[in-house]
Amino acid sequence: MISALLIYTPRGELVVSKFYKGSIKRSITDIFRVQVINSLDVRSPILTLGSTTFHYIRSPGGLWLVTVNRNNINSARVWELLYALGGMLAMYAIDNSDTIKEQFMLVYECLSLMLLETGVVCDTELPSIAKQMSVPPAKPELVSMQQEEAKKKKQGSLASKALPKFLQPVRMNSMTRSLSLSTGSSNSGGNSVIGKKNELVLYVNERINILVAKDSSILKSYVDGTIDLTSHLPPNVSCQFGLNDTQSYNSSGGYGSRIPRSAERTSTLPTSAAMAVDLQNCKFHQCVNLETYERDHVVSFTPPEGTVELMKYHVTEDINLPFKVSPIVTVVSSSASTTSAIDYRISLKSLFPSKLSATDVTLRIPVPPGTIDCKINTSNGSCRFIPEEHAMLWRFNKFQGSTENTLSAITVSSNDTTELVLQQWSRPPIALTFELLMFSNSGLSIRYFDVQQVRDGPRQRTAKWIKYVSKSGAYEIRY
Amino acid sequence: MSDQRIFARYRANEIRAELQNGEMKKVKSGVTKKKNALRKIIANLTLGNYSEMLQLFPEVMRFWPIEDDIEVKRVCHEYIRTLGSIKPRSIIEALPFILRDLESRNERIQIMALSTLVSVPFNKFTDEAFDFIIKLAGKRTTSGNLLKNAIYSLVQLDDYDHERVMSLTSTLSEIVDHHLENPTIQIAALNALYQIHDRDAKAPPYHISVDTAFNLLELLPTLNEWDTSTLLEVLPITVVPQSHDDVYDMIDMILPHLQHVNSAVSLNALKMILYLLNYIDEVNETIIKRLSNSVVALLEKPAELQFLVLRNVILLLLSREQSLLKLDVPYFFIEYNDPIYIKDTKLECLYLLSNEETLPQILDELEEHATDIDIQMSRKAVRAIGNLAVKLGEKSAQKCVDILLHLLEFGVDYVIQEIISVFRNILRKYPTDFKRDIRTLVRYAEYAQETESRNAMIWIITQYSDILPDYLELFETFSQNVLNEAPEVQFSLLTSCVKFFVRSPSPATEKLCVQLLKECTEEAGNPDLRSRAYMYWRLLSVARENTNMVTPDMLKDIVDGELPIIELNTKLDPAVLEELELNIGSITSIYLKPTSQIFRMNTVKHLPRSRILDTDKGMLRVIPDSSSNENVSSSSKGRVSTSKKNGVHRAPTMSDFDKPAETVYKLKGERKSSSNSPSKLARKPSMLMRKLTLKKKF
Repeated sequence: MISALLIYTPRGELVVSKFYKGSIKRSITDIFRVQVINSLDVRSPILTLGSTTFHYIRSPGGLWLVTVNRNNINSARVWELLYALGGMLAMYAIDNSDTIKEQFMLVYECLSLMLLETGVVCDTELPSIAKQMSVPPAKPELVSMQQEEAKKKKQGSLASKALPKFLQPVRMNSMTRSLSLSTGSSNSGGNSVIGKKNELVLYVNERINILVAKDSSILKSYVDGTIDLTSHLPPNVSCQFGLNDTQSYNSSGGYGSRIPRSAERTSTLPTSAAMAVDLQNCKFHQCVNLETYERDHVVSFTPPEGTVELMKYHVTEDINLPFKVSPIVTVVSSSASTTSAIDYRISLKSLFPSKLSATDVTLRIPVPPGTIDCKINTSNGSCRFIPEEHAMLWRFNKFQGSTENTLSAITVSSNDTTELVLQQWSRPPIALTFELLMFSNSGLSIRYFDVQQVRDGPRQRTAKWIKYVSKSGAYEIRY
Repeated sequence: MSDQRIFARYRANEIRAELQNGEMKKVKSGVTKKKNALRKIIANLTLGNYSEMLQLFPEVMRFWPIEDDIEVKRVCHEYIRTLGSIKPRSIIEALPFILRDLESRNERIQIMALSTLVSVPFNKFTDEAFDFIIKLAGKRTTSGNLLKNAIYSLVQLDDYDHERVMSLTSTLSEIVDHHLENPTIQIAALNALYQIHDRDAKAPPYHISVDTAFNLLELLPTLNEWDTSTLLEVLPITVVPQSHDDVYDMIDMILPHLQHVNSAVSLNALKMILYLLNYIDEVNETIIKRLSNSVVALLEKPAELQFLVLRNVILLLLSREQSLLKLDVPYFFIEYNDPIYIKDTKLECLYLLSNEETLPQILDELEEHATDIDIQMSRKAVRAIGNLAVKLGEKSAQKCVDILLHLLEFGVDYVIQEIISVFRNILRKYPTDFKRDIRTLVRYAEYAQETESRNAMIWIITQYSDILPDYLELFETFSQNVLNEAPEVQFSLLTSCVKFFVRSPSPATEKLCVQLLKECTEEAGNPDLRSRAYMYWRLLSVARENTNMVTPDMLKDIVDGELPIIELNTKLDPAVLEELELNIGSITSIYLKPTSQIFRMNTVKHLPRSRILDTDKGMLRVIPDSSSNENVSSSSKGRVSTSKKNGVHRAPTMSDFDKPAETVYKLKGERKSSSNSPSKLARKPSMLMRKLTLKKKF
């Protein structure tokens, strides 16, 4: 159990302090401020002084969320709690020092729901807590959180302290079939059903990460995927879906035995070279029945109201690479002037089928420090040199499949940049970001998706949607 | 009023005035004003403005009877709690109010009141708390939340009054065994018992029987994620399995939870399984695979959790001879955007994962990072390369040395210094292999500025003085200014000059030696240095005068003896390892130090004895799973497999995936500067020009 939880503004003012143990002195808050917030070279997310330990994270807006404790607590619990708290703050749009100063009482209320008054975590399911709070959240949807985060990234994520890679907001689940001790709200899903259409949307979100070496050999490549579910269904309706993973093929002996009547086949989706995907490690949400998965490799669950991250998986083999980047980067010394420059010739080719197109494609090409300008020539898209980030950004609004585009550029460096400096420049990799709909990087497809009928209700049509979104994770190419 | 900032220090009078103001006006706005004032009180408490707020005690008391607004109640309780821990005696008047709250019908208020009672360190308060809890435990119809809070409050009360709490432990054990409809309470009682025993260094660790453990494990599917992680955290050590079947059954029950998305649950499941593995002597390979997969999946979490998992991975890699995790090296390749602590830890993991097969990949990675901008990273990378050379055999050492020499040409000073230091270790391990490279190295002697690299350089020059013709001049560049050097360098200079003299007594070496000895004895400030210089001087004089007592051979032996082979010991002490394995996921596993060094109050954990306890960890046999191999081969027919695991295959390249594009856009036009200069030379013809060229009149 934690001894105290503190929240500071980005500048270091203490806004929320909740002490769970009387034995902790109040001066702890100052110690943290001095040691971490105001110090320049901090190399670890955990700090131990004497026998007091601080665990901390930073929200996307820069708020410091800190826990203090004096015993050997399990750090995984602490960080999961902090991330859940951060997700809660994001839902209420509390993200900078003004908003938190206005709404700090909300934070106290939320803390009293998430943790017992003695500092033990009891429940961090965001929708259920949101329902119990006196004020409804400003942004209850999952989708808008991701967009907001993506917006923040585009606006120049030059923060020198590391921001969390993606704030996992989404243990946004609430009631499980289990007996949750939240005061009596386990059946509140019932009130929204009547009159609304029944709808279930499955989002298969994938992020592809690859690292390509100088000789264009692939050092590592893997795809992280999550399957999110948004459901507007009556409570206690169970669903199941099956994936085309090798293990389920092996255990059920192929396609035959298990497909119920209302099967949905996604045959238009391009799959990987193999018909099946080797899902090596997947993590499931609370509401998924893990034992059924162990036995039959069928994901069976009872969806709670709202948005839930159902499953996370990780695939390393047989990945469909959507883009191929071929950079040729050389140091040229121009005979006319004494300075040297770097010449880039980069071609970007899309490898997915031509009927699809990727949006928000950006190729970030680093340039050495000391570059004042770049002369750029592109075949398509727009490329600009951004001096503050030491990079050129080549943007496409829409990149059609099976297309190739080229960029040719040369840097103009300042007078004191010699050839030696350019040769010694440690080249940060070229990074690519993109978003691609209805394409599965890993080749994973949902074979069937079935909703059990409510036993005594009228026969209702449930609208089921499956949407595949592939995004870039860390798509890095060394040159 | 509402524009006034809430988060500012106020005097008591100001807030008092505000509260009175709120009462006089109309109901609606009055309420908001009062609430604002209350908020200001809390804000001021956070800011530390205690003395002022203490004066507002009577006002706050007046708000107490308001039952229907939770926020007001919360403010009142928070007020008492904060001030109670600082000045308990002044708050004593609030006690009857709090007691009345305990009897309230609203459960939340009861909970708040209980926790307020517990947080004020004053006898009267804690006595009331005890009475309440005892009454509560007796009643069977208490609501879940309240009972849970009460149970955990016992743990807090333990700080104040240990004996009374110990007497209640039997009640708690009853709760654990009793099958309630609400398993969360059982878990809470279990956790509380565990913590109470943990704190008490004299009491034995808490034990539960294997049957109880099985009952609790059966509850697993119904529990909330946090309760699951609590249960899995408490179980190691408390339950001691007595037979192999028990162990296998427990592992089966826990295995699905490795796939939980909450990292606390999966790490605790990992810990429990590792603990159980100590009690059996053979394990199926599928379990190993699942452990490894679960760890890899955890690497996809945000940075701090990744950091935790990586440190635990290091732990597991260090521990057993035959490591329990099968992990691919590419997972530990460093990405550009990783925060610095992750990069450091990944480097360490790479170093530990290296063996003959994986060496080329790892060396390439390390070479990339040796030229990184961050100084510490590149130093660590260079050091890792050097340590790898020492750790693995001769062939690998050659590759490492090649890379190091290549890096020397890079010309960056801290890299060179690090290389020199690391080369010394390599030369100690392989004294004869790399002689030809020493000349190259010596050319960079003037780069050695830091203590360690200077030391290393001096040692190299001394040790290999036979192949360096001009060693004396080189040495003199170091020894010229001996008094200004760091202590370690001074000592090694002294030792070296004596060695030179003893090996080849010549006028030049003698002069050098005498000069250095003179400086050290007469002008040095460090007494250790002086006494060592004196010792050497005596030794040399005795050797000269009386060759019977100290023969030249003896002298050589003393001064210039055989050096033992260097060994880099990266393994942790087994006792420490055992303890850390029982602490996976906790803070000590991040620091990789025993609990007693960091938390003095916690008890140290050991593996409890049992008849099946397997003390020798190396004996754990892994049964390869033959069935899974067949499946893999059958499903890979007709599949383009690009396996990266086998080091013999070449790594896949981008061109494997290449398909010719249907549409190719070529470059058009000249290179244009994209800078923000607004000069657009190629502008469209101005409207004026256009109008002038029109034939019609406008």
